Amino acid sequence: MPIKVDYVARETVTNLKRNFTITLASVLTVFVSLFLVGFALMLRQGVEKATQRWQGGIEFIVFMNPNASPDQLQAVRSKLENSPDTEKFTFVDQNAAYDEFKELFKDQPDLTENVGPDVLPPSFRVVPREKAAAAVEEMSTPFKTQPGVKEVVSATETTKLVQELSDKVTKGMGFVAIVLLSVAVLLILNTIRMAMFSRRREIEVMKLVGATNSFIRVPFMLEGLFQGVVGAGLAVIALVVFLPFFERWLPPADQFPLFSGFVPGGPDMLITYLLVGGIGCLVGTLGAGVAVSRFLDV
Amino acid sequence: MIKLEEVTKVYKGDVVALRNASVDINKGEFVYLVGKSGSGKSTFLRLLNKEERPTRGRIFVAGKDIGELSSWKVPLLRRNIGCVFQDFKLLPNKTVSENVAFALEVIGRPRQVIKAQVPAILDLVGLGNKAENFPDELSGGEQQRVSIARAFVNRPLILLADEPTGNLDPATSVGIMRLLDRINKTGTTVVMATHDRNIVDTMRRRVIELDHGEVIRDQARGVYE
Ligand SMILES: Nc1ncnc2c1ncn2[C@@H]1O[C@H](COP(=O)(O)OP(=O)(O)O)[C@@H](O)[C@H]1O
Ligand SMILES: [Mg+2]
Repeated sequence: MPIKVDYVARETVTNLKRNFTITLASVLTVFVSLFLVGFALMLRQGVEKATQRWQGGIEFIVFMNPNASPDQLQAVRSKLENSPDTEKFTFVDQNAAYDEFKELFKDQPDLTENVGPDVLPPSFRVVPREKAAAAVEEMSTPFKTQPGVKEVVSATETTKLVQELSDKVTKGMGFVAIVLLSVAVLLILNTIRMAMFSRRREIEVMKLVGATNSFIRVPFMLEGLFQGVVGAGLAVIALVVFLPFFERWLPPADQFPLFSGFVPGGPDMLITYLLVGGIGCLVGTLGAGVAVSRFLDV
Repeated sequence: MIKLEEVTKVYKGDVVALRNASVDINKGEFVYLVGKSGSGKSTFLRLLNKEERPTRGRIFVAGKDIGELSSWKVPLLRRNIGCVFQDFKLLPNKTVSENVAFALEVIGRPRQVIKAQVPAILDLVGLGNKAENFPDELSGGEQQRVSIARAFVNRPLILLADEPTGNLDPATSVGIMRLLDRINKTGTTVVMATHDRNIVDTMRRRVIELDHGEVIRDQARGVYE
């Protein structure tokens, strides 16, 4: 069916103007909720990256000497395999360690360029059955004297705290964002419903003279989409502006090695932006779609 | 052109608006639908363009059973049926010519076609000089002419008029009837619901009388009662 672009554009703009305040309310709600979504994702990515080694319940890491012999590696491995205290463990070889290193310090090319896989220690990352500090201590200590072991590092309290905190903050924000997004869908639904009400005469005439359903619906769908997209756009802009402040708030890297590479960048943020944009479109389309299908039948 | 086969319409609340109505209207006919208020005239008309669906029975328009029409084809049916109402249903924020153009615009007619057809139809209904006026600047009769122009601009096969003179004084009504007659003479089938005795008795045409939803009379060149 030929949809006339100028007609659709004109109708959409008129609708938006007519309900300016409530349109603004929906746009701002989408904006705030998506900003929270973006922020939560940013925080999560950052923390995940900074505490990468400590994901999944890993409580201590046995770093081997870079030049440890295969026999020495095998000895540590079988000791872990045979220990009743081990829930599971993974072995990270030198190449994998190098990948991780590059990822962590990708903002500092001078560092990554001067280091090769050969100088990095391979390591065993251990998830013990018993997570209590004393039990971990007791289990990890014997490895310190094992031949070929460089050092044994336990997850510090700070790491755990950061993980827990970020987990809670992310979940909290996620929850608030979901509530706000639902509010946004309802607000958009209501805007569209009001727009349809104020145009009920036109709609009636359109139906009588044989305008197709899609022709009648498209301007309203676009209006909803527009609100979602503008809200998402504002959220992305705010996130971009906000990112440098976020970086500045963090403790300097040398003081807290944990936080180096904390700030997500590049492709991670792109995914966040795309996700924010996608959710915006979805929210707008959903609100308008529900309004149109519930209040506009043939 | 229009055929009802034992059509019954029951609204919710068990209101029987049309009972077992069978009617056959040929192409080019002019038919009055008469009866007291609430006898089912509007329902009869609304069934024809599928604004309402019959509870029982079948309705054919231009040879097609409109009950079988898929919902996306309903707009195409309606493009062949013009509608005129007692309350005109004009858009108050559009001028006369915009009101008529709107009907063409929303069914995707090209701009050149609209530009050519709107002034032509306004001349036909005698409103060429009021094209840029708004509906509230017109008399009732003039507003009804605009609504007829809008209904007819797309050259429909059928024109349904639901008490088109219900809000007009007798003199103005005569003008509207002349216009409908002219439209009928172009070959358009006209079905007009009315309870204007004067009109039915002076411009004699086929009369179908409804009473409590039943067709109690169907008379060629009939009178009101
Ligand atoms: N949408 C509707 N819902 C329920 N009842 C209706 C509806 N439309 C009409 N009716 C009822 O159907 C009967 C016929 O109404 P209508 O077709 O409007 O008659 P008329 O146009 O001859 O006055 C009336 O009793 C009216 O109250
Ligand atoms: Mg009626």
